[in-house]
Amino acid sequence: MKTLLLNPFKKYQENKLVIIGILATLLGSIIAYIFSARFDGVIDIHFVSSINLWQPFIDSFINISLLSLILFALGKYINKKTRFIDILNSSLLSRVPFYVVPFFNIGTTMQKINTTLLETLKTDKVPDLSNIPLSFIITLFIFSIVSILLLVWSIAILFNGYKVSTNAKGVKSTILFFVALLIAEVLSKIIMINLPY
Amino acid sequence: MKKLPIFCPSCESNLIVSELSCSNCDTVISGSFDLPKILQLSPENQEFILQFVLNSGSLKKMAIQMDISYPTMRNKLDEIIEALQTNS
Repeated sequence: MKTLLLNPFKKYQENKLVIIGILATLLGSIIAYIFSARFDGVIDIHFVSSINLWQPFIDSFINISLLSLILFALGKYINKKTRFIDILNSSLLSRVPFYVVPFFNIGTTMQKINTTLLETLKTDKVPDLSNIPLSFIITLFIFSIVSILLLVWSIAILFNGYKVSTNAKGVKSTILFFVALLIAEVLSKIIMINLPY
Repeated sequence: MKKLPIFCPSCESNLIVSELSCSNCDTVISGSFDLPKILQLSPENQEFILQFVLNSGSLKKMAIQMDISYPTMRNKLDEIIEALQTNS
């Protein structure tokens, strides 16, 4: 079970993983559309008031492509035998935890909390937090904890996939992985801000 | 089958072969012979090499047979290559 959840790349064949990864991406993008969530960055997810059907699909495409290309370049630098399909599978499957997050917006719950919070904080004086219902604070707290855990899970999947694909060992390759992840995040933000879709 | 010791239990140096005998005519040869490199690997790695040869060098076939992924298999082979290079 641990292998399946954290490191499926160790055991399962690449053709099985790529099919599961693509199906999960399509399903995750539909879920994001239904619950108005945008994957607006490699390690980002935000709830929006209006969304087009194709937006979560393009978001996923940009995120997965960028992650795959950057990690593949790094993988080739570390080990010449690195294959693109293995890195692609790591990128595809690392997105799966993100597809759980949109469910927090059932009945536009998170959007309502966001709007209330922003309205409360949009003041020149000290914000009066007593106006925020306790249920909102509890929901926000649970959302934050679960989101962080899902983010850690996602990065763990990506890192394990990278390690298996490249046979990377040592501190240097770990540091390079996080640098690559940050570059992918910055580039994805730049592309998404400048690409009108 | 008895496990072939490759390290000295006293000082952990590599062992050498000092005696060989024929089970048919009891001829005994004494001398000082190095263990072949492959025999200096762990039994698990020796088994891997045997399977690799039996599968005509196809890591893909081996991966399917052993129900693990291709990159895991390739990484294992890289580790054995590294071990052989260290021993040489």
